[in-house]
Amino acid sequence: MRQESGGTRRPSFLRALTVWRAAKIAVLVALLILVPYVSDSAFITTVFISAVMFGLFAAIYDLMIGYAGLINFGYAGFIAAGAYTSALAWLHFGVSPWLGLLLAGFVCAAIGFFTGLVSLRLRGLYLALMTFFIGEAIRFTISNTPDYTRGMLGLNVAPFPSIFGIDFSRGNYLNYYYLLLVIGAVIMTFMTALVNSKYGLAFQALREDPLATESLGISTTRYKLLNFTIASFLTGIVAGFYAHYLGILSPTPQEFGVPRTVEILTITYVGGRGTLWGSLFSGFLLIGFQEYFRALGAWRLVLFGCLLIFVMLYARRGLAGLKKYVW
Amino acid sequence: MELSILLDPFILAEVSLQGLIRGSMYGLMACGLSLIFGLMGVKNFSHGEFFMLGAYAMFFVAVIMDMPFILGIGAAAAVLFVFGVLVERTLIRTLRRRAGREWLLDAFVLTIGLMVVLQNLALLTFGSTRRGVPTLIPGGVEIGPIWLTNDRLLILVAAILIVSMLGVFIRYTRMGKAMLATGQHPEAAQTLGIDINRVYTYTFGLGAALAGIAGALLISIFPAYPTVGFHPVIKSIAAVILGGLGNVPGAIAAGVLLGLIEAYTTFFLASGWQHVITAVLVVLVLIVRPYGLFSSAKGERP
Repeated sequence: MRQESGGTRRPSFLRALTVWRAAKIAVLVALLILVPYVSDSAFITTVFISAVMFGLFAAIYDLMIGYAGLINFGYAGFIAAGAYTSALAWLHFGVSPWLGLLLAGFVCAAIGFFTGLVSLRLRGLYLALMTFFIGEAIRFTISNTPDYTRGMLGLNVAPFPSIFGIDFSRGNYLNYYYLLLVIGAVIMTFMTALVNSKYGLAFQALREDPLATESLGISTTRYKLLNFTIASFLTGIVAGFYAHYLGILSPTPQEFGVPRTVEILTITYVGGRGTLWGSLFSGFLLIGFQEYFRALGAWRLVLFGCLLIFVMLYARRGLAGLKKYVW
Repeated sequence: MELSILLDPFILAEVSLQGLIRGSMYGLMACGLSLIFGLMGVKNFSHGEFFMLGAYAMFFVAVIMDMPFILGIGAAAAVLFVFGVLVERTLIRTLRRRAGREWLLDAFVLTIGLMVVLQNLALLTFGSTRRGVPTLIPGGVEIGPIWLTNDRLLILVAAILIVSMLGVFIRYTRMGKAMLATGQHPEAAQTLGIDINRVYTYTFGLGAALAGIAGALLISIFPAYPTVGFHPVIKSIAAVILGGLGNVPGAIAAGVLLGLIEAYTTFFLASGWQHVITAVLVVLVLIVRPYGLFSSAKGERP
């Protein structure tokens, strides 16, 4: 069922771009670009930044779980690795945060490659447990080395320096938002192209039946490693942005532990697995909801959990299942 | 620290004993988790929340109602058994019925959702204050140069007792035998007239009850608060992996091992490193021996 909506039967995703569809996409993109600008409110802009940022994390997560069936349950630890790489490279070696984004990508890619390598033999739940412990090991290493990372005290991170005359000082949310949109556009375009290429097909084959895939002469090992490494690289870049935008990092569970992974996982599942773009929509829905109803406190997490249970039981395709009614 | 202190046999014995006691409780939790995993294949991530609910049940009975703590343990076991049965009947069974590809992964994600719901409902209902009991039985015993509080002795004795009772239950009762059969081959068990749905329900209830008992017993060490279950559940998941998934005695042994590691690292290094060491150990075991430390199973890899 999912393959039909995933667009894999079409040779190119560009061919499906009818005028009507293009118009709808144009309206959405215009809303994305214009709403924070027109609203001129720091609150709206920060909500949009969070929504896009977590939507991106969730979309990258979807590249792993939705396409290749690889569950990374230590995802927040990977985000921590990326965020701290960029922040510490600036702090200890004076590396420019712009370069730090790439550096974070490469360090995360290395960790992702390593994770893929050590878990080649594992699938499903075992992979979830393996990645969970790797993520926790990363987080606890950060909190146990306060001499370098300031541990639980929290690490102050510099904002991005100005580039091309664009000012990125703290509080200039609109510029941060547009920077994120540019990063996000590049990442989403890349991922959409990737899943529609022969690599995307191989990932799905890996998800459906690893044994059959192997017997067709497709190296599951290679594609598994590739998927993990690419997803981790992209995670590192967004995580680098996260660090410099937020300005303070601390290795608490809420920020880089299980609750964060669960948050991203919920966004992915609610958006619909194997859709990439569904994650962005559900990012707006869930993060927007969360920011708007801050007063609800713990109730909103109860709702999050119930939503996740509901999606697992009755709406496995998530928001993407609603697509045919509204799109 | 002087090396002579580190090598002092009394201190080593003391540390080992602390580790043994913590380990026995991780083993108790891990055996519920391992039972559920071994029989149903469900990795229950909300196991720590069952532990938390057990601790609250104990607090309610022993402190608020001021009744003997034994009743608290019984109440925790009963409440969690019923709760586990309900969870299995309503949530897990719905998923199992659909039984599509990778339903186990879906069940895992579902228990994550359940974890978030229970944790935050507890926060809303009970608040974030730690509700503990200073001691269950005041006093202690002296074994040679080592002073052991009665509470810790109780944990050790209760853990041994419960694990042996579980062993007897599985080996000699009708339901226990049905569980064993279902675990070995569900279809064959069904053909032989075993109602496997009922077995699954009881297994989940029993696993939940074991977590509840652990939570109730440990209230003097881990007072009840909404996220109390996180640390024990991590340890017991680690124990289940180290012991070999589904291998109940292995999980118990691995739980004790983890307790010892925890005690030694807390004593010799900064306490935060115990998590890194546990994680690295689990990762290594998953690489080298995916079937666990105490398993001789060969053949198809997980």
